[in-house]
Order: sequence, then C-alpha cells, then structure tokens
Amino acid sequence: MPSPLKLNAPSHLIRTFAQGQDELKYHYIAHTSLDVIDERNAAAIASKSTDCYMNLLYTMEDVAVYGYMTPLKMKIIIALALTDSVVRDADVLTIFRALHTAYRHAVANPFLRLDAPIDGHNDHATVLLAGSPKWKRKAVGAFSLAA
Amino acid sequence: MSSQAVTITYAGPLVFLSTDHWKQIYASLLSQLPLRNLHWKSSARNALRSIQELDVKLVALETLRDDHAASQVPQTVLDKPLLNMYIFICEDSESYRVNNRKHIKEWHASVSQRKNQEWLIVHVVRPDQNVAQGRLFQMKASVLDKVKADFNADKKDRCVQLVWSAEKDSPAVWADLVTKVKDGILSAFDGALKQREDEVKRSEGQRQMPGWNFCTFFILKESVANSLEGMNLYEDSLQQYFELEEIFSQVLREKNLSWFGTLITPTPNDDSAPLLSVDKKPYRDLILANTISVFDFRIYLLSRECALLGKMGDMEELCRKAASFLSTFARTLREVENTLAPFFIESWIYSSALSVVDQSEDWARTLQLDKPALASFNAAKGELVELARHQLDILGIAAGFLPNKPPFSLALPSFINLADKSPRNRRASMDLTITRPELLSSLVDADALYDQYVSITNRAIDLYVTAGRRKFALKMHGSLAALDVHRDRLGNALQTFTSLPAHYSPHGWTSLEAFMLNRALDIHASTEKTKDREWIHILLHFLRAYVDGMGRDLLMSEEDSKVYVEGLVASLKDAAQEMDSDIPSPDHTVLSVSLPFRDATLAESRDGALLGIVVQNKLPCALPVDEVEVQLGGRDNTKITFTVKVASLAPGLNKLTAFCPSSAPGTYALFSTQITMSRLLFQWKHTKTAKQIRAGNLPTLVHIPKDHCALDVKLKQPPRIELGIPSRAVVVLSTGRNEVASAVVKLGAPSGVTFKYAETEMIGDDPPPFRTENDCVMFLDIKPGQTVAASIPHSDASAYHYMKVTITVDYVTTSEQAITRTLRLNRMIATSLPVAINVEDFFRGTRLVALPTLFTMFTLSTTSHQHVRVKTTQLSSQSESSGVKVTGCTAQKPSVVTITPVQPGRFLFQMDSIRGQVREGLKLHIMYRMLREEVESLVELAVKEAVAEDADIAPHRQDIVDKLVQSLESSATWVELYGVTGELVPPGVEPSDDQIGKGLRRALEILKQKRTPISFGDWREIVIPVDVPQMHILAAARLQILENPVAEGTTKTERRKRPLYAGQPISALLAVQTSFHWAPLEDKKVESYHMRYEVEDLINDWLVSGRKRGDFTARVSHLHRDGETLTVPVTLIALHHGELALPKISVTALPIIAGGEHRMRSSVVPGCDTHQVHGAEKVLVLPRGGRTTFVVNMGNNDAINPL
Repeated sequence: MPSPLKLNAPSHLIRTFAQGQDELKYHYIAHTSLDVIDERNAAAIASKSTDCYMNLLYTMEDVAVYGYMTPLKMKIIIALALTDSVVRDADVLTIFRALHTAYRHAVANPFLRLDAPIDGHNDHATVLLAGSPKWKRKAVGAFSLAA
Repeated sequence: MSSQAVTITYAGPLVFLSTDHWKQIYASLLSQLPLRNLHWKSSARNALRSIQELDVKLVALETLRDDHAASQVPQTVLDKPLLNMYIFICEDSESYRVNNRKHIKEWHASVSQRKNQEWLIVHVVRPDQNVAQGRLFQMKASVLDKVKADFNADKKDRCVQLVWSAEKDSPAVWADLVTKVKDGILSAFDGALKQREDEVKRSEGQRQMPGWNFCTFFILKESVANSLEGMNLYEDSLQQYFELEEIFSQVLREKNLSWFGTLITPTPNDDSAPLLSVDKKPYRDLILANTISVFDFRIYLLSRECALLGKMGDMEELCRKAASFLSTFARTLREVENTLAPFFIESWIYSSALSVVDQSEDWARTLQLDKPALASFNAAKGELVELARHQLDILGIAAGFLPNKPPFSLALPSFINLADKSPRNRRASMDLTITRPELLSSLVDADALYDQYVSITNRAIDLYVTAGRRKFALKMHGSLAALDVHRDRLGNALQTFTSLPAHYSPHGWTSLEAFMLNRALDIHASTEKTKDREWIHILLHFLRAYVDGMGRDLLMSEEDSKVYVEGLVASLKDAAQEMDSDIPSPDHTVLSVSLPFRDATLAESRDGALLGIVVQNKLPCALPVDEVEVQLGGRDNTKITFTVKVASLAPGLNKLTAFCPSSAPGTYALFSTQITMSRLLFQWKHTKTAKQIRAGNLPTLVHIPKDHCALDVKLKQPPRIELGIPSRAVVVLSTGRNEVASAVVKLGAPSGVTFKYAETEMIGDDPPPFRTENDCVMFLDIKPGQTVAASIPHSDASAYHYMKVTITVDYVTTSEQAITRTLRLNRMIATSLPVAINVEDFFRGTRLVALPTLFTMFTLSTTSHQHVRVKTTQLSSQSESSGVKVTGCTAQKPSVVTITPVQPGRFLFQMDSIRGQVREGLKLHIMYRMLREEVESLVELAVKEAVAEDADIAPHRQDIVDKLVQSLESSATWVELYGVTGELVPPGVEPSDDQIGKGLRRALEILKQKRTPISFGDWREIVIPVDVPQMHILAAARLQILENPVAEGTTKTERRKRPLYAGQPISALLAVQTSFHWAPLEDKKVESYHMRYEVEDLINDWLVSGRKRGDFTARVSHLHRDGETLTVPVTLIALHHGELALPKISVTALPIIAGGEHRMRSSVVPGCDTHQVHGAEKVLVLPRGGRTTFVVNMGNNDAINPL
C-alpha cells in the first residue's frame, strides 16, 4: 500500500474458510490486528529488526491471529482456529510466505490492471480491492498453495 | 517453596562461637549479604550467567543436620547447604596446633565427604596481630600456612584469613572472604545441578520404557527449575518449565496419560479460584500421588511460569500466556463439558482472566515499567478483560438476556450447543453450580448481567485506550452500543453508531463502516424519528459503503439487501422532498457520470448541442432522480451546461443525451456534474490540478462543432475610421435559422473602456427595432437569415493594440419562448490602425521665394508584418472656400500601392495658399485593405462563383475555403505573382476526386485569372485630419560665384567661363531673400524680424573671407508681404581641387525683443524655414598645375605678371 492515504486500508478481501462463521468477526479481527501490528512495528523499528513475520498477534476466544508485513508494508493477517496443540512458528511463516508470493504474482500480473480506473494508475492497491472476482480466485489459489 | 535461598553452614570452636567477638563478626558478615554480582560459568550452558543478587542463609552446622535427606522426593539442590565454613581465631601456630587443629580435622572429615558441598576455613585475626605476625614472618610459617598445609590438598584455595576488628569493619576487609564464598557456592551449585540434570536426562531417556512416570519426572525436572530459581536464574528456570510443557504436550499426543487422573476433577470453587495462585491446591502432593488432573496440572504449570515471568518483570508475556492458556485449554475442557457444572468453563475463564489481571497488577506495582512496556502490558490486560467480557456474552445469550446475533454471538465458540447451555435445560443429575457470585446473579438477573457487562467492557476500553489500541476500543464501543440497542436505550446507541463510522471510513474499512451505518439506520427506523438531514447523511454514507463492495458482505443476503436498499432509496427520495434547503453531497460513489463521446453533436433543428453521457448507478435498484446536469468549462472561464431530465436511473449503465441550448463551438473540459434528486444534489468536480495533469491524469475534453445555422455574432472594426472622433465597434448579429424575438447584446471590454450604447447606430438596410439601455442593446424581431449590424461607439482604447471583448447575447426565439439562450463569445478587435503615417513639409518657391508653395509628403508604413494595399490617397479640404489649393503630385493611375514592412509608401501633395485667408484643416483619406482580407475575399468570391456553377458542392463551401486559406497560409510564394498580376495560385493544393476536389479545381481556375484588385471587394477607409502648416518667415539663401569680382550686380544666367583653381580667391555673392507668405494670420502686425545668417564652416574645403556672419532685418513689405533681398559679397578660397559643394548658409530668426507691442510674446522665437537654393550646386575646382615664376620688378612699375 504505497499511498499513505490508503495506509491500513483493507486491500484484500477478508475471507473465512471456516463454515458458518460470522463475517463481522473476521472483519473485526483484521481491523483490530492493525493496532497490534503497529505496536509490533514500533518495537521492530526500535530494535532495528527487519523480520517480516510478526508472530502471534493475539488470541481471542477461539482464534489465534498471526501477522506478517512485507517490506512494502503490505500486511497479511491469518486467523487460525485455536487448538490446544502447539502451532509452530515455522508453519505459520510458511503460509505467510506462500501468501506473499501469491500476492506478488497477482500484483505483477498486468491483466489484473485492465479494469482499474486510470485515476489510480500508480496505486496498485486499487486493483486488488475486494469484489474483483479475479482476485477472489487468486486468494483461494494462494490458500490452497499454502495449505 | 519459591522462597528458596542458598544455605551456608558455619562451625567453629564452641569457645569462639560463644564470644562477643564472634557475634560482632557474625553481624558484620550478615551485613555483607546478600551476595552481589556472581558470575556462573556452567559447563552445560554456553553463556556466562550473571546473578545480580543472591540471598544467602547462614545457619549453624548443628542445626541443619536433622531433617536432611529425609524425603525421597527430589528437593531443590539448594535444600542442602552449598558451603560449609569453619571459623576460628588463633593467636599463633602454637595455639593452633594445640587448640584448633583437632577440631578442624573432625569438621573437615565430616564436611568434605558430603557430595556437592564446598568447604571453607576462615582464620580470623585481629589487625594488630597481623603486624606482629609480619615480624615473625620469616622465622616461622603463619597459622594460615599451617592450615593450608594441613587441609588444602588440591589446588583450590579453601582457606582464607579474615583480618577483622570492630573498629576496622569495611567491605574491603571482607572482599577476600566474600570472593571465596562466591566461588564455593557456585562450584558447589554447578556440581549439584549437573548431577541433577544428568538424572533428569536419564529419566527423560527412559520415557518410552514401561513404568516411566511423568509425575516423577516432573518433580525431578521441577527441582532443577526450583534450584535455578533459588539462584535467581529465572530465565533458566523458566526454560525448564517450557521444556516440561513441551514434553507434556508430546506425552499428551502419545496418549500416555495413565499416570494422570481424569482431565478434570472439579472441586468447588475451581471455577472462581485465582488462576495464578500456586498454593490454592496442594499441587505437588497431588503430583506425587499421581492423582493430579490435567486441569490442575496445567494450571500449576502455568502459574509457576507466570510467577517466574512476574519475577522477571515481563508482564506482557505473563498476561498473554495466561490468555492464550485460557483460550486453548477452554477448548479442551469443552470436550468434557457435560461432566462439568453449567457454565463452568465460562466462569473459570472469567474468574481466571480477571484474577490474572489483578495478580499481574499486584506484581507490577513494584516494577518500574517504561512507556512501551506499560502500553503493551495494558494491551495484554485489555485482552484478558475482553476475554472475560466474552464469557458474559456467552452467559447472556445462554440465559436469554442477550440476543444470539452479532456482535454478541461473536464470542460463541463455533461448536457450542446453546441448547445444552440453556438454564431450562439444566441436567437434573448435576447439582454442581458455578461459584462466581456475580456470574450467578447475572444468570438470573438481566440488569445485573448488563451492569456487569458494561463495567467489564468499560474496563477493557480504558485499558485499550491507555495502551493506544484505538481499534480494539472501537470494537468494544460497538458492542456497548449493541447492548444499548438491546436494552432499548436507542438514543445512546444511535449516537454511538453514528459516530463510529467516522473511525472506520478513513482507511476504507467500508465493511465495518457499513455495518455501523446499517445499525444506525435500523435504530433510526425503529425509533421512528423524523427522517431529517442527519438521517439523509447517514443513509448516504451507508449507500457509499454499500456500493464499495465490501459493505455488502456483512449485511444480509443479496435479495434481502435489494429490497432493503429499495426501501431506503424510496424513503430517501421522500425525505429529500421534505427538505427546505439543498443538500449537496459531493463525490458520492453510488452514481458516476462519464462522457463516452468526445464530440458533442448539433441539435440540427434548433440552436444548441447534444452530448451523450453515461450515468452508472451502482445500486441494485433504480434511483429516482430529477435531472442530470453536466457543466463544461471553456476558455476564459466560460461555462456551458448540458441538462437532461430523467425520472429514474436504472441499475447499471444509463445512456442519456443531454441538451445545451446555448453552446458556443470549441473545445471544453469537463468541469462538474450534478444529479438532482429533489433537494438532494449529488455533485462531482472534475477539474484537475496541475499536479494531476503532470501525473498523466488528463481532463476529459469535449469538442463542440460549429453550427453554421445558429445565431452568431461578430465584432468588427467599422469600414471607415476617422481619427479625432470616438472609435466605434460594429456588432454583426446573424440569426441563422432562428426567428429571434429579442436579443440582448452586451459587450464587456478591458478595464477603462466603456461602450456608449445610447449612441448605437444601425448600419444597413431594413434595420430591426432596437432599444438601448445603460449596459446593453436589445434587438427585437429579427427574421431568420437576417444579419443585423450596429455600430457602437466606445471610449478611447488606444492603449491597446487589440481589445478583447466579451460578447454576451441573450436571445429568445419565437419558437421556444421559454428558453433564454445565452451565447458568450470572446472576440478580438483591432483598435490600432494597420498603417502609421508620417508627414513632412517642404516649402519651395516657384518664382524663387516670391510665392512659395508647400509640398507635403505622407509616408505610410504598416504597423504589423502584413502587407497593406492602398487604393487611393486623397488630401482634401473640408470646404470649397478653403484658402488652400491642393494638387496631388502622384499620377492617379488605377494601380494599387502595396505597402510592405520593408517598403513604405510615399504620397506627395502640393499646396498653394492664397495669402491672408483663413486656412482650414485638411483631411487625408486613405482607401486601403489588408492583403489577407483582400485575398480571403477573393477566395470567397471564387468559391462562390464555383458554387454558383455547381450546386453539388454547396455543402462543402466552407471546407474549400478553409483548404485554400490553409494552403495560402502555408507558404508565401504566391504573394509576388499576385502583387504583379493579380493571379492567385495557392501553392500545394492537390484536389481529391470527390466533390470537394471538384469545387477546389474550379475555384483554382477562377483564382488563376488575371484581375486588378480594384475590381472586387470592399475597401476600408481612414480619415486623418491634417493641419496646414504655418511658418513666420521663409528664407531662401543663395551663394553665387561671380565671374567677375569687380562687376556690379549679378545675373543668374551668366555662365561661368573661367575655370576655378584651388588656392585662388573666388568672388561670390551671398543672397538671402525672405518671405512671409505662410505666416500665421495673427502675425499681420509684425513689420520686421531680426535675422542672422551664417556661412557654414567647411574647413577642409573652403576658406571664407568677408562677412561670414551677420545680422540683418527682414522687413515686411506692405504690398505683398514679402521681404527684401539681402546681398553680401564674400570671397572663397578652395583648399583643394575637386568637385566641391558650396558651403551652406543658415538663417535664423532672432528672438523678438521684449517690450513695445510684442510684450505679450516676449520670449517667442519666430519660426523660420531656410531653403538652400544652391543646395544641389557643385563647382569644379582645378588643381593649380605647372610652374609659377615670380619676377620681382626692381623699381619698375609694371604690373605683376604671372605666367
């Protein structure tokens, strides 16, 4: 999200892969995660860390929320169902990397841009706004890649 | 258990230990504790561990012995003393051998056998003894040396001397001893721990063997952890617990849980006990007895970890760990929920979360947390409180006090079966209940639940706010608002729901924004408040969020939403009608207007243009609107507006055609659009900033073609310009196809120039009736196809070469009386003349000076780069009785003079005046036109002729003209030919094969014919008033060379016969004649003027001898008012040979002497013009050649005879 105005705007659709879940919950999760990411970010800047992976952000009820921020400040958030067993960071990181790669491929795809308005021609976030069926398919693809 | 400290035993001679001296030493030793800055280098660990501070317990050796090694249960390694000290005092080696040695030996024997314990012998001496010993040093070994020799077998020095007295008590005295003590403790601890860790490792290795017991292992491992904790090595201790947790989860996975009791054996108060208390149950005993439940075990593990974290001061991690544990373990508990008391899990989480918050706050009180740490601690606490709040959600829904819908239902675990939870469905067999009092009351009393809910939520909000987690706080506010809705406190809820969207919208969280707005609308509807301005704003925001795509997700199914939005839109329309003022809604995303075509089309049957527009309605239902308006901006801020009336806009794309009755041709940029729905105005601005344009974001351009049949107005310079009277501008209004009922013309000019409408004059035949007002002129009833011209005078505009005039015509046609069309154009009108005129006057006398005539030369030059064609120039007097007779000097041939920038035109006139008459001003008439005008009219004529021959090409007439003019503009090669012959050959015209080409060919033929420019076209006229010049005195000066210097009088006709030689004197006569013929009439009374003549000095050519300069009086002759002639003889000597011009003579009038009748004009110098009569004459001077012999006559009277 290069434009500062659009900082923290949801550029992806927020999707849940659990059945019968309330969408609102995941919108809330994505939104509130940004607060935690900001906190982590401040800490990361203080310690000059360049790690993309933001670790477990928080757990709330039955989900564990993990964060990842690409070097270009694109934030990816995964909410996993909470289990009693230990989720290894390496596994979560693999998912994030796969999502990031999928995202990069998608953004680099020139055809994704065809329908975008000329107004935002240097703001690639607009082409990824939710509602584009192309992107929806991509997201599913990315997830299956990661799973 | 956690208050473990390192134990050090001491022993010594009983005699010594009972002295006061020992007590003093003991007290001083205690004051050195706790030990500081221990550095433990362990063989099993890589890094050096530093212990800041270590508590040490000093006990007498005897007191310890009893309880030692009683239990089989591994305690910490610190249970046993790590160091044994023997302290004695001894004067000298003799007394040592006699009194102490035996005792020490016994002690050493018992102590050194103990495993993993160090020993230390301390020899106390007084400072004064030390000095004495020093003296004896070389003679015998000191006591210490002896002790060392006796006991210190290996390298490590375990004997130390303490030089101490009550007077000299300082840390320096103790340094040696303390170092030794530290070394001893660390080495003993290292050994002990290593042994214990080896045991642990061995046990862990046997995990797969039958009979291995996790509980035993746990106790063993925990003893390591406790030991580390006792040494204040919290991190290492915590690591042990982490490893334990890891192993536990492995074991759990292997399902090797035989040594555990059930998952949970609920005891009363389990659900409300403080989570982090390690002694609320006898956990260790339970573990040892293999009867601990997983539930208890996990809690115990967690509380130990948290206790360590608390000691380390990592509050954030503590809370997070607790929260994570509560969530994860709750899931495990759900599996056996049936066996638990109703709401056990909720109550447990609730109480535990809150107790963790309290406990951690308790611990944190002693800590100094920096700002970020405090913030994250608060955030973690907030999460815990929120977790507790979620339990209230679940309880509330289960008890029926809260609705089972978002946001309350968000907290419900995905697999929860509400039916099981319902209090009505409580299992009869279970008489277990939860024990948290406030939850119990909440289950039966709705208000208690609500109060609890609000207070917990507010607590979470406070924590989040102090932590800087704004978005979490927003979420909490949302849930509070939802509770308000449920409790029918709609006012509060509405306020919250209307304020929340503002927090979500800036970053594009339309989904949440839409949700909040949706709630606000629902509440608004249910409270049946009037649909006011505020409601409209909420609705507009909602629709914006709705169409943004993501907003839809959260609301409802597709069909429902359509119906829902339809209803909203309908009531929006109603509400918009109710409003008493306009509500502008800028840049709303529900609708968007675009221009698919870059060209507007003409309406053909009437004036105006049509523009195709596409309006996209992104709503799923039709939107009732009134009007769509598109405004285009042209040059000089002109705006034209296209409108179209529509009843409603269907979902998707709507193609509309908007009409603009008054459109001027040109290129316009899309300026703004507006869609009106009663009082509600959706507006968009499309102007682009310079920055946007630089970024490639160009404005939308629309081209409006010219309508040849539309009303048009032009502004011209009048064909006749007369200098000296107010300038005029001619407005030419052509109606085209319209029958105009009225047309109001307003002219706007640059500052300082005003139009005098009152003095408007109509030009041409059959002028329509018109009215003038102060600021406009109005024409009435103009027929179709009529052209009206009116000349309007304006104030002086000579400051500008060109004047930019804005013409505004408001006109109403008879066919469409309702529409007032406005035509707004900018026209340039030239205010300066295309030619500049210079005048030169020359007075000449026909009979010398007797009757001087005036020659006036007018020089015409163009002021621009354009050629000017001058047909005639004419100087005329205004009336017959004028005293001046004008004769043109140029032969009036019918040719036209072309004035180019390099070649001005000269026109000469001769004037004769009759003396004594009043001379009136003259006027110079110039008939001219610009070459461009001439050629353009010629082209027009030619094309007209071609069209007249062939009607087919009529529609292309303008195209042909344009094409020809374009070709003429492209190159100037045709000018010369045209100037000479009048044949016009436009260069580079290649006629095509169509109608245009046909017309073009014919027109070219016509143009090629020879013609004179006078034969066609209109000429412009300039009239310039010219004054007849006046001169007081006219003088004619003449220098005449005389043939014979002696001869009297001169005759002009006498030819010079003798040659002139350089260096020889030449006689000449200077004559000045004066005339007063052109003197002003008021000079009549003057009788004489004082004059002065002067012969010009030409020192290179002539020597002048004689009256070179002189004054004289010119008398006015009464007869014919001409002066006399003054003659003066002069002698000239040519200085060199050659063709020489004679010197000039200047004649000036001297100022009229003051006084007398000329008093009033005392300072006036009369005007005087001198004509050099001999100005063009030259004389040939020969060189003096040959030899000259001078014969000097000696006394003879003969004349000198030069040869």
